[in-house]
Amino acid sequence: MYKRRLLMAAAVAAAAISTEVRAEDVFKIGSSVGLTGYAAVIDRAWRDGLAVAADALNERGGLLGKKIEVVVEDNHSQPQDAVVGYRKMISSDKVNLFDSGCVSAGNFAAASFVVQASLPMYLCSILPQREQEQVWAFSFLAPPKFEIESRYRYLKEKTSVRKIGILYDPTPYALMMKGLGEQLAKDFGLEVVAQDTYKPDDADMTVQLGRINAAGGGAVVKIGQGGSTVTAAKNIKQLGLDKMLLLSSNDDGSIFKQAGEVLGDRFLFVAPPVQLPKQLKPGPTKDAVDAFLKYWAPKYPDRDPTNGARAWDSMMVLAKAAEIAKSTEGKAIRDATEKVPAYQGAYAVFNFSAKQHVGITENPFLIGKFANGELVSAE
Amino acid sequence: MTSHATISIEPVGVRWQSMLPPLAVLALAGLGLLSSDYVVTVLGFAFIYAIFCTGLNFFMGYTGQASFGQSAFAAIGGYGSAILCADYGWEPLLALLFTMAISGVAAVFVGYPTLRLRGHYLAMATFALGLIVYEISIEWTSLTQGYMGYSGVPPLGIAGFDLVTVKQQLVALAVVALFGVFVAARLRQSRFGRALASIAGSEPAARALGVDIARYKLIAFVIGALYASAAGSLFAHFVGFISPEVFGVTMVVQSFAMLYLGGIGTMWGPTIGAVIVSVLPEALRGLKEMQDIAYTAILIFILIFAPRGLAGLSALFKRDRAQTREGA
Repeated sequence: MYKRRLLMAAAVAAAAISTEVRAEDVFKIGSSVGLTGYAAVIDRAWRDGLAVAADALNERGGLLGKKIEVVVEDNHSQPQDAVVGYRKMISSDKVNLFDSGCVSAGNFAAASFVVQASLPMYLCSILPQREQEQVWAFSFLAPPKFEIESRYRYLKEKTSVRKIGILYDPTPYALMMKGLGEQLAKDFGLEVVAQDTYKPDDADMTVQLGRINAAGGGAVVKIGQGGSTVTAAKNIKQLGLDKMLLLSSNDDGSIFKQAGEVLGDRFLFVAPPVQLPKQLKPGPTKDAVDAFLKYWAPKYPDRDPTNGARAWDSMMVLAKAAEIAKSTEGKAIRDATEKVPAYQGAYAVFNFSAKQHVGITENPFLIGKFANGELVSAE
Repeated sequence: MTSHATISIEPVGVRWQSMLPPLAVLALAGLGLLSSDYVVTVLGFAFIYAIFCTGLNFFMGYTGQASFGQSAFAAIGGYGSAILCADYGWEPLLALLFTMAISGVAAVFVGYPTLRLRGHYLAMATFALGLIVYEISIEWTSLTQGYMGYSGVPPLGIAGFDLVTVKQQLVALAVVALFGVFVAARLRQSRFGRALASIAGSEPAARALGVDIARYKLIAFVIGALYASAAGSLFAHFVGFISPEVFGVTMVVQSFAMLYLGGIGTMWGPTIGAVIVSVLPEALRGLKEMQDIAYTAILIFILIFAPRGLAGLSALFKRDRAQTREGA
């Protein structure tokens, strides 16, 4: 009887120790994403991009020999749910780092206690506002001026349109872009004759578009994502504005196809190289895009790769940081991320430093259009 | 829309059964203290919503009216506390009380004309109130910072002593929630509470008894606003950040689910509903994408088998026992 108990105790102890060893061999990445709600399109792609990258890195031996495991929590695009999810991932899942989606408010709400836990935050969204939180956060989102500059440059160089209207939604990123849109117009010889706002779920924008047309605007620079772009395209057609151009923010390819089918070559959009892979010439950008698509395309042949590519890039930057840090400890990864040399990703070049926590420092965007059933370069 | 709330005839006076709910709340808080910050956060949100719903219960449960706009007062409380504490360095408790006063005054100004409406018209007017304040919180960026939200709201504190850890804050939230229910219970058992019950039962009958219906409705509305404001302030201090999404339609839907699930018109129903609606999704988190389906299925199941809410179940059992005794 005594021996049996002793054996059982030994078995339990062995199981406990082996679990502990297994836990040490895993690098857990927590991801708070809005799988439902307004951010669902982007954040589902972000989640899938992380999963594809984790598979690719695990094939190569993981992160310094540790298997990568991605823990995903749906925040329903709500900050309150994001707070609960972040808390769970810190205290129950014991994640080593966060690589979260584009629900800015959720990431901001959690930033203070993520910093207290000394965990780096890689973000699809913009950085939190407070300096002490920015120290631990790294943004993989392009600065808003790049999207604006690409569109303005196209208008200046390829069209005769000089009067434009800005149509924007009230999200933080869109508001930043709208402010820059007003400032930068003069540099490109453009005049903003009207600006109007809309809500992402608005079913009609004829009033706003009518105002832009009445003010003499020849092109609408639309700032914001989602189905509203298709609504705007349909409204332009319904109003009979036969010469008006619609230039959209970067978004999912399915949105571009729908809007392109309505307006034809009068619909233009901002696209990173990975969204127009057939247009790429041999070189580092094409190599990076191909490396990503090798894993993405077989798994998701019908899906737009744009936001998945950004998530993929964030994981590759993490892998580089771990190599530099020679450690998977939070502080070491944070410090090493600042030292990762310029990394050519599938979405853009990422160039983090101690003073630069927004990784994209060079404009990666091209202008695209929808022609012959596919997305192609308009330049 | 007059809600079909039934004011339950819970026994008045201190009996051992009446001590069970507060003991359960304290036990939950105690459980939180022994658990991870994750569990503490879930319970913290449950207690904040318990305060919000206890106030809403005044207007919807005790008075039998409909309000879809209480989130407006939570937004006033939340943004008021955030701005006063983060930008002007006010004491959190002082800011909470001050914004409650602001919300109360706003409720008087809004309620005076609005509460002349009845039924669906009142419901629509209060819904519009919620939407207006939500839009203001998005568009008035110089004050609220719009979707960017307000960061750096300090934790709760009293007289220079900050409740730095979430566990300390959980204790404070449990105490405030219990105090809120205690005040509600005292008011409900008063002459004022009986007047509200008479309005819920039949407005013409209440008028015939000499109840000033407009006045009592307004007071119930203002009390609901004070509770909502306190809940909004506590949310801001608990999370340290607020943005418009917090006070959107989701808050309205969630608080209604809590109220009806727990038992509208009952003393402890809002608290029970708040705890269940907050904890249940976490218990089902392991189901991943099936979580929402399982959660709503359970809510529907509860509402079918306990249409008067979970707090009404005790009355049901009592009635069954009485019928059994009579049969014997």
